Amino acid sequence: MSAPLLAIEDLHVAMGPQEILHGVQLAVPQGSIVAVLGSNGVGKTTLMRAVSGIYRARRGSISFDGQPITNLPAHRIVNLGLLQAPEGRQIFSNMSVRENLVLGGGDVGLGELDRVLGMFPVLGERLRQNAGSLSGGEQQMLCIARALMRRPTLLLLDEPSLGLAPKIVAQIFDLVERIRAEGVSILLVEQNARAALRIADHAAVMEDGRILLSGPAAQLRDDPRIAEAYLGGHVH
Amino acid sequence: MIDPYYLQQLAIGLSLGMTYALMAIGFTLIFGVLNVVNFAHGEIYTLGAFAGLVLISAVAPPIVAVIFGALAVGALAGFSLERLAFKPFRRFTDEASLKSRAMRESTLLSSLAVSIVVREALEILFGSEMRSLPFDYLINTPVRIGPVILVTGDFIIFGVAAAMLIGLQYLLTRTRIGLAIRAVSNNPLGAKYVGIDTDRTIITTFVVGSMMGAAAGILMGLYYGAIFPAMGFVPGIKAFVAMVMGGLSSIPGAVVCALILGVAESMATTFVSSGWSDMVAYAFLILTLIFFPNGLFGARRERV
Repeated sequence: MSAPLLAIEDLHVAMGPQEILHGVQLAVPQGSIVAVLGSNGVGKTTLMRAVSGIYRARRGSISFDGQPITNLPAHRIVNLGLLQAPEGRQIFSNMSVRENLVLGGGDVGLGELDRVLGMFPVLGERLRQNAGSLSGGEQQMLCIARALMRRPTLLLLDEPSLGLAPKIVAQIFDLVERIRAEGVSILLVEQNARAALRIADHAAVMEDGRILLSGPAAQLRDDPRIAEAYLGGHVH
Repeated sequence: MIDPYYLQQLAIGLSLGMTYALMAIGFTLIFGVLNVVNFAHGEIYTLGAFAGLVLISAVAPPIVAVIFGALAVGALAGFSLERLAFKPFRRFTDEASLKSRAMRESTLLSSLAVSIVVREALEILFGSEMRSLPFDYLINTPVRIGPVILVTGDFIIFGVAAAMLIGLQYLLTRTRIGLAIRAVSNNPLGAKYVGIDTDRTIITTFVVGSMMGAAAGILMGLYYGAIFPAMGFVPGIKAFVAMVMGGLSSIPGAVVCALILGVAESMATTFVSSGWSDMVAYAFLILTLIFFPNGLFGARRERV
């Protein structure tokens, strides 16, 4: 088996005196969708931010495409082709949709604009509109589209379904599969475990700053512990 | 027919307002990106004027070279100011601390400290009294337009302020670096996710804003013919008032309010002695804060 595109080894991350991640181990094989599941506050977003270089690692290593990226500044990591559609979207709400996409393109330029707008036709109709005036689902699409402008090889998606109506969530997950079909590997963090396991190849369950268990998504789907804790094994 | 006296006062007021606008543009630009008040902006203005003085007395170059010299000193001063007074308080990269009150208050004081050190250093080097600039360089040749008498400097200041405003608008909407400045101003965390080097963008903002401040300083020196180490204080206050009146982070708003402020001050001298005209700015500041807490132009505007 070839080396994974993203390899996280024994990652420790702390905020001040408090350690949030206690040795996370995770790999994203080339061309796959890996889902990280877990409830609120277990460190999923911290993990994503550490990979993107927003937070520093206290110990451990992250390598991308065979290259160490531990504690590289965020903009250098972006230049390597590792992009993130972060939690809370973090779009530029006072700027136009077009300006958001131009900023997303960065050094790569606008070469991807037509292709990205082909995937997100709704954004094409709103290019001159302020990003802040878009609906929640459209903002999420803009956030993903902005990341795709850089032609990423790995896309990190942090809670893309958060706060969206079920119909929009289904749309977003369809898009994620399409993005993978175009050759982009994906690391997906989700609370919506059912939807995430449906599209993922591999999955890992996080609890209290550690990976509790991981394996092929199909296997986790059938795992009674997962069903109990994350898929609503109990009656709602 | 309007009394020519009022036309003259209006012209003087607009010219005065333009000089406040020159200061306010750089001030507002830096505020818009970092959400912090840069108290050393007035000293950047002073440094620009003194850089001009040193250049003129050392090599007596043409006036354009004097202005470029002042711009270079402004750029260097802006860079150093950011490294010295702002960067050390930006160790934490999460969104909360980037816009936190503690950060704002600490840089408020650190930039004030830099401004005091610069002013005192200039007093040690040049003395605290007025220094006059050579007469040949001054831009105060009278120009008569109908009943109103202006000087060449009024036109130069108007031209420079307009060029800066248009140039800045172009920079912010049409160039990569300008978009990055607005992105950092809008969402510093989001800027990191699109690969913007936020540190470098903040330095650029300080450099651009400080070049404008320094240009204002040398132009005012050449306009009035005299400079002194504390000269940046009053224009700094006026620029601050214009920024607050304009809604804190709107550059066009700050420019309009700077003009209103200039005209109001010059008209006020009709009714009160000129020593009291500074009170107009303070009165405007207080009235704005009480009745228009979001600035005169009401609703939230785009920052920068």
